[in-house]
Amino acid sequence: MILEYLPILAVFGFAIVFALATVFSSEIFGPKRPNAEKLSTYESGMKPVGTTSERVSIKYYLIAMLFIIFDLEVVFIYPWAVQFKKLFNQQGISVFVSMVIFLVVLELGYLYVYKKGGFKWD
Amino acid sequence: MTLETILFILFAGIAATTSVLMITRSNIVIAALFLILNFGALAGLYLLLNAQFLAVTQVIVYAGAIMVLFLFVIMLLKPEHERSIYKIPGMKIFAFAIAFLVFVQLAYLILFSSSSEKVSPDVQASINAGTIETIGRELFTNYILPFEAAGFLLLAATIGALILAKKKIE
Amino acid sequence: MSVPIEYYLLLSAFMFIVGVAGVLTRRNAIVVFMSVELMLNSANLTLITFSSFMGNPVGQLFVFFVMTVAAAEAAVGLAIIIALFRNKQTVNIDEINILKW
Repeated sequence: MILEYLPILAVFGFAIVFALATVFSSEIFGPKRPNAEKLSTYESGMKPVGTTSERVSIKYYLIAMLFIIFDLEVVFIYPWAVQFKKLFNQQGISVFVSMVIFLVVLELGYLYVYKKGGFKWD
Repeated sequence: MTLETILFILFAGIAATTSVLMITRSNIVIAALFLILNFGALAGLYLLLNAQFLAVTQVIVYAGAIMVLFLFVIMLLKPEHERSIYKIPGMKIFAFAIAFLVFVQLAYLILFSSSSEKVSPDVQASINAGTIETIGRELFTNYILPFEAAGFLLLAATIGALILAKKKIE
Repeated sequence: MSVPIEYYLLLSAFMFIVGVAGVLTRRNAIVVFMSVELMLNSANLTLITFSSFMGNPVGQLFVFFVMTVAAAEAAVGLAIIIALFRNKQTVNIDEINILKW
């Protein structure tokens, strides 16, 4: 049973090796002749101002929050789609209607966010 | 030792260590990354328990969506240095002592109730219980009302989060 | 299923207790919130353990709904933390004491 996941493990291993190799191979093989001018932060020729830990905008939170909601929507649709044919033969149209109600309820929230300007970037 | 035992030790070790590391790191970003690793190890444990669909859901929903939201909020609020106003000596030691006491109680309950003699695992039934077909059949026959209620919960969460987080709503 | 059920339950209890200790000792609201997520996950592990060892899918359905609730809770809870930060410029739960007697 657990051995069936061996290909996934292989993909994980490949991903880790690839990520580490691309990051560290340039570190290892690249020639390095550092001086003070090269080591300073390059900001289009300007003197660098402030720190790097800038506070990001609240807009990203709204996008991530909506992403969670639609992520869960997809997770709910997936088992429904797998079992749809079997359940449709057993219960008829009601299995379709229940998913439509679920989607309509979620789209109400989407509509609300759209009306209140949650998607406006500025 | 079978392969399953080795994998259990690996995943359980990762889950236990990362949970401890998560609450002890003072840098919040590192704590959040350890929590993601913890969720990944839990997904591995779910696979060992034949719960394949939930293992994937754990990675997609928890590690992929919820923790991204946490990291966004951490970047949004800019982690500050943590300090306690109320200086009560031995507060942390007291908290850990309480936690340890509760753990001892739970461990006593688990080890002396001899659960493994009472449950007789049926591997085939366990594999069938975790497939997406079983979850889908149960969800859309017996649990259709909680499913619709989850839709309303998500609607409420969308509206609530928008109202709380947006500065001014036009 | 060669690993006995007690080991899974012990791991789950340990993670729950670590979450409790995190809630009790940390003062940053986001870390407290992450500890709560850890406790939710340890409860999920218990549910899946019993569901799998008894061959009953209802426990896994419960975990599915717990994940939904956790996502909604994370969205609203983090929005509350953002609203708190906007008003008090801090996420330290010791300084958010305006409702304290």
